[in-house]
Amino acid sequence: MLRRSLIPAVALSLTTLVAGCASPVQGGRPIAIGIESQYADVISQIAGPYVEVRAIETNPNTDPHQFEASPAVARAIASASLVVENGLGYDPWAARMIAAEPSARRKVIDVQRLLGLPAIANPHVWYDPGTMPAVAAAVAAALSSLQPAQAAYFQANVRKFDASLVPWTEALAAFKRRYPRTPVAVTEPVADELLTAAGCSILTPHSLQIAIMNGVDPAPQDVAAENALLREHRVKVLVYNRQVTSALTDSFLELARRSGIPVVGVYETLPAGYDYQSWMQAELAALVRAVSRGVSTETLGRGAAHP
Amino acid sequence: MSLLEFIFPPGFLANGPVHTALIVGAGAAIVSAVVGVFTVLRGQSFAGHALADVSSAGGSAAFLLGINPLLGFLGVAALAAGGMEWADVRDARERDLVTGVMLGVGLGLTALLLYLDTLRGSTSGAAIAVLFGSMFTIPASIVPLALAVAGAALVAIGAIYRPLLLSSLSADLAQAQGAGVRRTGLVHALALALAVSLAAMTVGAILSTALLIGPAAAALRLADRPGRALAWAVLIGWAATWGGILLAYDSFYWTPGHGWPVSFFIVMLIFIAYLLAGLVGRWLTPRSLERPA
Repeated sequence: MLRRSLIPAVALSLTTLVAGCASPVQGGRPIAIGIESQYADVISQIAGPYVEVRAIETNPNTDPHQFEASPAVARAIASASLVVENGLGYDPWAARMIAAEPSARRKVIDVQRLLGLPAIANPHVWYDPGTMPAVAAAVAAALSSLQPAQAAYFQANVRKFDASLVPWTEALAAFKRRYPRTPVAVTEPVADELLTAAGCSILTPHSLQIAIMNGVDPAPQDVAAENALLREHRVKVLVYNRQVTSALTDSFLELARRSGIPVVGVYETLPAGYDYQSWMQAELAALVRAVSRGVSTETLGRGAAHP
Repeated sequence: MSLLEFIFPPGFLANGPVHTALIVGAGAAIVSAVVGVFTVLRGQSFAGHALADVSSAGGSAAFLLGINPLLGFLGVAALAAGGMEWADVRDARERDLVTGVMLGVGLGLTALLLYLDTLRGSTSGAAIAVLFGSMFTIPASIVPLALAVAGAALVAIGAIYRPLLLSSLSADLAQAQGAGVRRTGLVHALALALAVSLAAMTVGAILSTALLIGPAAAALRLADRPGRALAWAVLIGWAATWGGILLAYDSFYWTPGHGWPVSFFIVMLIFIAYLLAGLVGRWLTPRSLERPA
């Protein structure tokens, strides 16, 4: 439903995967896979040196919705002891591959199921501040059953992870107090959960966001409504998905620039050099710059992991 | 709600994407209708369809390179049309075979280019836009080029109107009279390329046949003179395109928040016109320009 695979595409950006990685345990360490790079990052932070972590969807310049997996990905999933998938129609090929290679040993965390979300929920769940703490706890539980001797270490890492998110959630709360109900326009529902947590009101018609996300013809009424938001300065910022662009989103970007409305670029997978926490903080900092000083952050510069 | 408001819902005429769609759509419909009449008379409908499919490779290449998609459609369609005329296969069976093979090559290239696009920048909706059209996302900046292309096609057809008509109705007679059959054939092929790329911009490469062949086929059921057939074709194509845009706009209110694809309405209106033309034509004129099967 949410996936647009008109084209039988094969794997993209499998930089971390090499041929011949089919053995169940490599170098003695179990393999854990985060289908999206942000989940792989959280697994790494919880697992430390005890697990070999791989990400499948890592390229911040392409559309994860269009990803189709290759045989190399299937081999990797077959050999993994832990897989974290997003669900919500975002990575449906992953569930098919997991089902095709049944294994009693392998733990699978489906984030949609973990959070108890309905199938029609916004698939970009990692922008919701509540998501990753739940994922981290589930990852620790799965790792503890694989390596019971390290359970205390994994639990300590969960506490460290949760603590490292506090500056971000506090900044979100501060934004919400300082700039209540900030009107924003978006191109896709990518960062909608972050914007909601920051107390923003998203004025872009939901049907337009869905049409752009699914790559279908938008209704002209919706296009006109979005143009009016930008032209008439009814929004303080345009939140723009860097990973999926078209002539239409370009025209919104152009109109925002001409109208002097700051733009914040958002991503669907970890941008280069960031970890999950520093990525989320960078997006929020960009939003603050846009709303407080009218400064655009169209692309995130090369990031650094959180201290 | 008055009838006028019911037909033209509030905001329709003030809507930016609708304006662009109306202008580019009208250009595509008029040119396709005019060129289509000759294409049908010459028995080259399948070639016209194949040309559109092949041009989709240009459209998808344009998305990949980030250039104006109309230029992409146009470049590949012109190349393919020139190649088709140059090959000059007279035997109809052989011509269908060659055309069919080239159609496959073109769509195969399109599949590759659209896949590469997902690797590089992920243009949202490129596949839908190239194959089935995305009229309400056409950037307004394309209007001058689209109108220039439409004008060029009409001028080209106008310049060779008589010899083109003669060679379309009877190639042998035209040859005997010393009319430049090959030259008119080439000019027709290039006008066909212009028409097809305009139509591909609006209803997509796969559906552009409907705009090219449909109105012409309906018109030839109604009219017994070439001039009248051209007028009918233009009227039907134009009305179907604008009607389709209007219905697509209205459909937003039928299923709240979800407009139906404009290409669907245009193609359906053309089909209805074709059926009606059959009924009316049988009653109006027992004899028409349409060749007996």
